[in-house]
Parts: sequence; C-alpha cells; structure tokens
Amino acid sequence: MMGIRFMRRLVLPTFVASMYFFLYIPIAVLVVFSFNDSLFPFVWKGATLHWYKELWQMAEVWQAMRNSLIVAFSSVVLSLLLGLLTVYYSSRIFLSRFFPIFYGNLGAPEVVLAVGLLSFFVLFSVPLGLTTLIAAHTLIGLGYVIPMLHGRFSELDYGLIESSLDLGATHNQTFFRIIVPLMSPALMASGLLVFVVSLDDFIVSFFCTGATTQTLPLYIFAMIRSGATPVVNALSTLLLVISSILVLLFSVLKVKKMDVL
Amino acid sequence: MKKEAGLRAHIVNEFSFFWAIPAFIWQIMFFYVPLFFLIIISFMHSTDWSSWNQITLEHYVGFGRPMFAYIMLRSLLLAVVNAIICVLLAYPIAYYLSLCAFRWKNLLLFFLVLPFWTNFLVQVYAWFFVLERYGLVNSLLVYFGLISEPLSLLYTPFAVYLVMMYCYIPFAIMPIYSILEKFDRRLLEASSDLGATFWQTFWRVTLPLSASGIRTSFFMIFITSFGEFVIPDLMGGGKQMYAGTLISHYFLVERNFNVGAAYTVLAGVVLLVSVAIFNALFKRMFKNLRNGS
Amino acid sequence: MRSIRLEGIHKSFGGEKIVENINLTIPSGKFFALLGPSGSGKTTILRLIAGLEIPDAGRILLGDEDITQIPINKRRINTVFQHYALFPHMNVFDNVAYGLTVRGVAKDIIEQKVMRMLKAVRLEKQIYKSIQQLSGGQQQRVALARAIINEPDVLLLDEPLAALDLKLREKMLLELIDLQYQLKTTFVYVTHDQFEALTVADYMAIMNTDGEIEQFGTPKEIYEFPVSSFVAKFVGTTNLLEGILRLDGKEPQLEVEGLGGLAVNIPKDAAWATDGKNVLMSVRPEKIKMSKVALPGFSNELMGKVYTIVYHGQSTQYNIMLDNGFILQVFEQNEEHFPEDVIDYEDRVYLYWQKENVVLLER
Repeated sequence: MMGIRFMRRLVLPTFVASMYFFLYIPIAVLVVFSFNDSLFPFVWKGATLHWYKELWQMAEVWQAMRNSLIVAFSSVVLSLLLGLLTVYYSSRIFLSRFFPIFYGNLGAPEVVLAVGLLSFFVLFSVPLGLTTLIAAHTLIGLGYVIPMLHGRFSELDYGLIESSLDLGATHNQTFFRIIVPLMSPALMASGLLVFVVSLDDFIVSFFCTGATTQTLPLYIFAMIRSGATPVVNALSTLLLVISSILVLLFSVLKVKKMDVL
Repeated sequence: MKKEAGLRAHIVNEFSFFWAIPAFIWQIMFFYVPLFFLIIISFMHSTDWSSWNQITLEHYVGFGRPMFAYIMLRSLLLAVVNAIICVLLAYPIAYYLSLCAFRWKNLLLFFLVLPFWTNFLVQVYAWFFVLERYGLVNSLLVYFGLISEPLSLLYTPFAVYLVMMYCYIPFAIMPIYSILEKFDRRLLEASSDLGATFWQTFWRVTLPLSASGIRTSFFMIFITSFGEFVIPDLMGGGKQMYAGTLISHYFLVERNFNVGAAYTVLAGVVLLVSVAIFNALFKRMFKNLRNGS
Repeated sequence: MRSIRLEGIHKSFGGEKIVENINLTIPSGKFFALLGPSGSGKTTILRLIAGLEIPDAGRILLGDEDITQIPINKRRINTVFQHYALFPHMNVFDNVAYGLTVRGVAKDIIEQKVMRMLKAVRLEKQIYKSIQQLSGGQQQRVALARAIINEPDVLLLDEPLAALDLKLREKMLLELIDLQYQLKTTFVYVTHDQFEALTVADYMAIMNTDGEIEQFGTPKEIYEFPVSSFVAKFVGTTNLLEGILRLDGKEPQLEVEGLGGLAVNIPKDAAWATDGKNVLMSVRPEKIKMSKVALPGFSNELMGKVYTIVYHGQSTQYNIMLDNGFILQVFEQNEEHFPEDVIDYEDRVYLYWQKENVVLLER
C-alpha cells in the first residue's frame, strides 16, 4: 500500500498543482488576450492597449459599473446595519435561536429566490429597478452577514460587556465603545463579502432589474450573447484586478481577526 | 450561559425587540412571503388580483408531459454528477491545503479564493475562449498535429459539465476545508503510531470525521447546480432545456408567471424529494463508515 | 463610606438553588473576605452586590439606600474580575480612564487622575502599551486601577489573584492590604483559598456548598473557634474526634472509643451540649505537643506511634497512629537545624494538648 510519504510528497501535490493549473488556464488566457491586437481570438498579433482604450470610452460600461457599485454599497450598508442590530439585540431576548431562517438565502437555488422576488414585485406593482435590486441583494447579504456576525459575537468575552457596565457605561456607550470595535474585523470581512457577492450577482439581477437598468454582470452577459470583442477581455481583466485587491483585503482582515483577543 | 441569564435581565430594555426585528422582517418579506406568493400564483388563474379566488390546477398540466420529466432528469443528472465530481476533486485539494501545505498555505488559499471571487460570467466567458473553434484547446491540438479539423467543443453537454465543475469547485472546497482545518492532527499521528498505513488512517479516521463537511459540500453543490441556468444556456447553446432555463423561459420570455410559478413549485418538490433521498443515502453510507469498514 | 447589607437574599438559576436566605452585613471601610469552596455561591453573591444579577428575593442595602433594583452601571460599586476583562482594543491609559470617560469627565482631569493612579500601581512606564503586551501581574494592576479610579463605595474582587503564580500572589496580597488601608474603601474579596482569606481579611465569612453562610467573624475567631466541622476543616487543617459527651463527672469529658475520656471545655452558649450526646472535638495539629518522654501539666495525654513524617521546610507534619487506630496529625516547627531529640518512624510518642485549645462542635 502506498505510504504517507509517497502520497504527501508526490501524488497529492501533483494533483493539487494540476487543479490549480486548470483553475487558472482560462483566466490566464483571458487576460493575455485582452492585450491581443486582433479581433480574432487566439491568434496572437502583438500587444496593444487598444481594447482598454475602447473600454474606457464605452459610456454604457461605466454606467453599468456605476449602478453595480451603487447597489453593492447600499446592500453592504443595509445588510451590515440590519445584521449587527439583529445579532446584538436578538441574543438578549433569546431570538437568536431563530437565526436559521436566514440560512435559506444561501441554501435555496438562486433562481427560486429571483423568481419569487420577481413575482412579488410584479404582484404588488413595484417598479423594477435599482431599489428592488438593492432590496434583493440586502436579503442575500443578510444570509452572509448574520452567521458571520453571530459567530464573532458569540465568541466575544462576556466579561467585557459586564466590565463596561460595571464601570458605569450605559448600554449605548457599551455598544459603541466596546462591542462595535471588537466586532469590526467581522463587520469588515462580511461587508467585503457582501460587496463582492452583490457586484458579481447575475441571476437575481437578471430577473429583478427590468429593461432600463443595467448592472455590470448583466452588461457582460449581453456582450457575450451578442458576440464579443476583446473589449470583454479587457473588462474581465479589470474586474479580476479589482477582485484580487478585495481578496487581499479579506485575507488581511482574517488574520487581524485572530489578533484582537 | 448562567451569567447571560442574569445580565439579560438588565439589557432587555423596551427597545431590544424593536431593534432586533427589522432583519427578521426583511427576511420574511423578501424571502418567505415571495415564496408563499409564488405557490399561491401557481394555483391562481392569472396574476390579476381579481381572480384570487379562482383556484385552478391548469398551470400544472406540464407535469404530465414527458418533456417535463426529461428536463427534471437532465437537471438532476447535472446536479448529481457535478456534485460528485466537485466533491471528489475538492477533497484532495482541501486535504492538501489543511493538512499538508504548511509553508505556502496562505498563498495557496489566496489563489484558491481568487477565482471564487471572480465574476462568474467572466469565468464562463473565459471558457468560451478556451473551447471555441479557434480557441486554446483546438489551436493547440491542431498545432501539435493531433487533429486536422478543429473540434466543436462548445455548445455540447461536455462543455456544460466542464464549466459547471470549474465554477463550482471552489464552493465545494470550502466546507471540506473548514472541517479539515479544525481537525486534530494528533489523531493522525496517533493512528500512524498505532501502525496504520496512510489509507487505513484515511478510511478509518480522516474520512469519517470529515463526513459532515463532505455532506455539506455535496448538498450545497447539488442544490445550487439543480437551479443553474446560465451555464447550460451559454455553454450548451440553449439546445437542451434544464430546470433553470425552463423557469426563466416562462418568466422572462413567455411572461406567464402562473405557469412559471407552477414549474418552480414542481421543480422545488423534485429537488426536495431528491435531497431527502440523498440525505437518507448519506446517513446509511456514513453509518457503515462509522461502524468500521 | 457605607456598609453593605444583604437581607434575605435568594437566588436560583434554572431551578437550581444557588444561595438561600443570605443575611450578611459587611462593615464599611474594612477588608472583607468571602471564602468558600467552588460552587458555594460566593461569586453569585459578589455579582448580586455588583448588580450583574438580580436576587429572586431579598434586599441589598448600601448604607440606608436600597440598591436592589438599581442597575449595575448606576451603583457606586466597581469590580475587579477574575480574568481582568481588560478591553483588548484599548491601551492601558484608555482602559484605566474608561470609567471616567463614559461619565463625561473633562479630559485634563482624566489625564491627571489616570497618571496618579498608574503611579500608585507602578505602571507609569506602560501607559500607552496595549494590554496584550503586559504580564499577568501588570494586567491585574491595570484591572485594579481601572476600578479604583472611580472612587467606588465598595470594591469587589473576584478571585483576582487566581491566575498569578505563588510568589506574585503573595506579593499582591500584601499590596492589596496596603491599598485598602490607604483608600479606606470597603473591599469585598471572594476566594476559595483560605490562606488568601486569612491573610487579607479584617472580617470574613465562610460559605458551604449549600449556599449558606456558615460563619462570620474575624480570621482569628474563625480559625480558633469554628462553629462547625465544615469550617474547621475548610480553614486550615484539624483533627476531628468523635465521642460521647459526659457531664456527670467532676469535669466535662468526651468519651472517645478506645481512648477513654478527654478533658474538654463546654462552649458558653452551647445548649446542644447535653449529657450523652454525640459530639465532635476539633484540635488543630499545631496545638498538639509531641514528646518522647512524659511531660506534666497538660489536660490530656495520649500515646501513639509515628506513622508518617512529611517535611515541609518550616514545619514537619507527623501522622501519629493512636492506640484506637485513629490517626492524629501533628505539626511541629522546625526550630533548629538538627535537634538532639529526633522523632523517627515507629517511635512511640506522648501527645499533649490543653483543653482550652480545642473546640467542641455539634456537627
């Protein structure tokens, strides 16, 4: 039988390396060809920034990005706010046992969510647009925020809250001076997560925005559908860079989470 | 726990309930209520409120047609196969990351999480590039003289399954990784110390203890893959219908919400039933595993 | 400074009774220790005084003021928690200043007071350090400073030295005594360590595992005159002899099986001390004199064989097996390096004590 040594040193790393290779091939190709001076994919004709220039000039893209960012930021703010308040106050009055109702957002297929929301909005004649999208993304955001905040909150040293009150602080003061600072890594990490999820979201946006508004993923979808030029590559590369920065931030926050204890 | 009970007596002010509730209301209003209405609509004659008391099963006619069965089976197949493949591939990676790679762990994690945070349409589009007639794969094959004519890899079930797997693997790795991460390494040492080989340790110690991670991963992939419609649509060329494409078709193309709702409910039932079946299967499997295979 | 009074305090958690019918008066301006084994409810009483718990029944009074319903942050009582509960995201200065900051005290006054306090606990060089950089002893002093700076009526200390090593603990005990003496604040010190309690307390109370107060008094009263075998055994060590009280002879005697009659004194208001009753006698190991030769002038004389010898540096503990099989513990001070008269294993020795130095106990 194969020993641990063999598995560890050879087979496993090879497998993992090939998986990583597999994961990055398409992305690498995408990025490389965003610099290709040719319309025809995969025939390398020299490096150029032409497609990026074109991207820069496409007003619809920037409009779509603006929309995406508005939705993303609003969803983050709303879900963090609602999430934090709920996590803090629910645990006081035994409501936290009901938190599992939030897990449905992540558990159900997104189509179901999207379709439900669409019918709901149409049924009550709510005009579809950025606001409905923000509502939807906040909902999805709650599914991420509440478990993460609740987890962090449960780990908080209760003695700190008692200590703060013992020293004469009001509940409000305790909340803002002690609890929020100690929760901040979790707040930032979950906020970041919701931001990215919102930015990348396609399915719910597809159903719930209506004809007038465009978000970035929707725009990319349309571009792919209608026959793409390497401008899409350029846009994708740009998004990749943004994602990388965000992931970096997230990793840094994760490390910080451990520190503040 | 004891301490909390006492402290609670103080922190419960009149506003506690008031502040805690909004998130719950939001959740109920935008998740549970819409689902509720979805079910209601499927039994309503039309989306016009005036017909609210006309309960009908007319929209469920599709259930009887064989086409529906094909679509459901196709989706289930995709979901199951994708889940199995993803979990099988994810496990070694998660294992390696959590238990083997010490020096480069953070770096590897970073690179693993990156695709996960990439816009998934970008990921799909990237595969277009790789698989199309003049894309990477074909060009390489032609260049090395292995084939003379480019293969049409795109718009095939192969493309669908491949890209599904690609997009879902990071999700599969996460639950397994988080379980293995908390794993007590000393159990492995103890097992080796007692004379077990790698495989023995794996089957008897590692696998049973990470079973819940595998289960979570499987169901997460299974459930979400079942409802997937973008990848089958883009990668499959829309030639075959899946559960997701069926539903979106009725909602966005036909604009018949009632029928769409009916299909959603039906698909939901199919999903729930299959989840229950798989759950029972898992329980059996893990029971055998626990009782020393 | 005001005294604390607990009247008829009851507290249960989830159906389980923690403390019942507690009546306690803690004199103001004194160092009070609450001693008891784990699970005796002593921490609960502390938390009740602090306001972290509300009693199911009874009242808590600070001087004449009924503070039972006053919330924790409004009581002029501060706590030093067992694991300090220092705010990890603040440095030493901010931690100590917290109580003043939240009450809106002016910045310059805060600065002044904090600096003075830090000097008092010898932490003036660590002002801006984060608390993770401090040692256990330093953290403990920050916790102390943070509480005292608010000039509370009462300072509560929940086993504050539990996390420190022995030498540091001994040092801190003396510092605490000093501090209390200077501040004249009432200190309420909860511990399960009877050595700590005896060291610091002006007054102390012992709690048993049923959540009741067994005895209240000065350390000396409690040690020398315990009211029950529980107290006698918990505070220090003792030898408990069981026997039948005989009052019919010339002098009161305790008839112990196999040892005959031992001379005893009847405690003053002991209505339970009746003839023929089964009672206990407590004689502390240090009160017993051991000798190889017979000595005159003692109320009681017994003989036994040396069974175990344990060397404790300062003293030596001897376990002597009496003629009835009972093992008596004896402590002797090691007064000289090499005494002439060495008592060794298996030696037959005489054991003496005065009847004034034993305590008769009902239970």
